[in-house]
Amino acid sequence: MLEVSGLTTAYQGMVAISDVSFSVKQGEILTIAGANGAGKSTLLKTIAGMERSQSGTISFEGARINGRTAHEITARGIAFVPENRRLFPRLTVQDNLSLGSFLFRNRPDRDAPLDIIFELFPILKARLNQLAVTLSGGEQQMLAIGRALMARPRLLMLDEPSQGIMPKLVAQIFEAIKIIRRSDVTILLVEQHLVKSLEIADSTIVLQTGRVVLRGSAAEIRNHPDIQSAYLGV
Amino acid sequence: MALSFEAILQVLLSGLLMGLIYALVASGLSLIFGLMDVVNFAHGEFLMVAMYLMFGLVTVTGLDPLLLWPVVTACLFLLGSGVYLGIIRYTMRAKTNRGMVQVFTTFGLGLILMGLAQSLLSPDYRSIGHTWISGKSVSVAGIYMPLPQLVGGVASVAAFVLIWLMITRTDFGKALEATREDAGAVALVGIDKNLIFTLGWGFGGALSGLAGSILATFFYIYPSVGSSFLLTAFVTVALGGFGSVYGALAAGIIIGLVEATTAVILTPALKSLGVFTVYLAVVVLRPRGLFGSS
Ligand SMILES: Nc1ncnc2c1ncn2[C@@H]1O[C@H](COP(=O)(O)OP(=O)(O)OP(=O)(O)O)[C@@H](O)[C@H]1O
Ligand SMILES: [Mg+2]
Repeated sequence: MLEVSGLTTAYQGMVAISDVSFSVKQGEILTIAGANGAGKSTLLKTIAGMERSQSGTISFEGARINGRTAHEITARGIAFVPENRRLFPRLTVQDNLSLGSFLFRNRPDRDAPLDIIFELFPILKARLNQLAVTLSGGEQQMLAIGRALMARPRLLMLDEPSQGIMPKLVAQIFEAIKIIRRSDVTILLVEQHLVKSLEIADSTIVLQTGRVVLRGSAAEIRNHPDIQSAYLGV
Repeated sequence: MALSFEAILQVLLSGLLMGLIYALVASGLSLIFGLMDVVNFAHGEFLMVAMYLMFGLVTVTGLDPLLLWPVVTACLFLLGSGVYLGIIRYTMRAKTNRGMVQVFTTFGLGLILMGLAQSLLSPDYRSIGHTWISGKSVSVAGIYMPLPQLVGGVASVAAFVLIWLMITRTDFGKALEATREDAGAVALVGIDKNLIFTLGWGFGGALSGLAGSILATFFYIYPSVGSSFLLTAFVTVALGGFGSVYGALAAGIIIGLVEATTAVILTPALKSLGVFTVYLAVVVLRPRGLFGSS
């Protein structure tokens, strides 16, 4: 459903990702691992249309999407939860969620995803009238995922959803990701907790200074000797 | 100086009515600033264009200004959104000193509009002669209210109610609020920030179109009429809090009241003295203005 090939993105001439290729099938979870500065966020931002690629192609459901603006890409069914979440801080939880379904504003069932969102993250229901800025880090991450789900994506991209969050909430968020994929949503997950991410991934790519240095199914990566020594501490 | 109770009410009421119009002039400026941190120095000239447009339309069609308010307001909506699409959008791309680029651009636009008015329409003072409401007044319990100002004040209140409804009740209003919060993030929910900016400038223009329509019925029309109102509008925006549309309403009323009272206590020529004193006090005591966020 998503095919990336030869993708290169640079910031003012400094290459951040270079010749990245991979593909994901519908309903799969692909995790993207790599050290700080490896280019994981840049890869997601480029797919989301928030950074421009220099070369390469991104095709989503058979159509080329690079060169399209970010809001067009969202409208095509790709929802992105960036690493700093980018909630609307001084709007309420309710408003943040209903902005998520802006594209469905003229449909009577625009709020339909709310049921599943409250099931995944019951705390959001209790916080509906609070300003987003008053939520804890974990709650903000839940709201960011909820807002993305309101846009009814077929591809959901999550950039380090566990960053800066207490372990109990991390578990809840990973549980939610598993449930979301059951409704046939394809997921790209950037995650530094490699062990955790491998648990739910179908396949994984590892980036190093902007290049894909390893790729394979979750099982293959888990048993790969380089990974065992470098990341899993075996 | 002993003023009767009626005389005091009279002063306050005329101050209130003028204040509502100041608020309307300031609201468009504040809307655009709140949305994208751009101060539109051509805002006063938008007002001037609206007044001349009203003058021209009345002259050509012979219709009453009241009937032409919607036309002038709609035209200024187009002017505002056109200025965004044709000019401001490109200044957003400036990599360095974007703030300065925008100051010079809007200031320059204002000068051009004023220059065009001077050369094409002559610097003469004009006024719209007889209208349905001109020269009439309403008098309640000994308080006397000129009808044009009264109608203008009511229209201003109505405009603020409409803005409030739009912001709190519509998806466009929510999109506007979200864009004010984080313009770079609205794409994440499928909103085109350029469209919101275009509409924001359109509404900013429309508000000065309405204000110009009101002013044209009882104020002189001349090429630099905008600059005199712009200064008051800046003080209003600063007093109310930069970017706060409701703050502009409160501040506009305060300025109208202070101005009217100063004119009576001192002399009309010094009516701005009170306004600037209040402004300086606010700058010292509460720099972010009455309703501004820190
Ligand atoms: N806006 C930017 N301007 C210039 N350089 C940038 C920008 N964003 C990222 N970079 C650079 O691009 C490279 C890749 O950054 P990126 O944020 O994609 O890495 P990452 O893998 O997400 O890292 P982290 O794990 O710390 O989030 C880094 O060298 C970074 O310094
Ligand atoms: Mg990152």
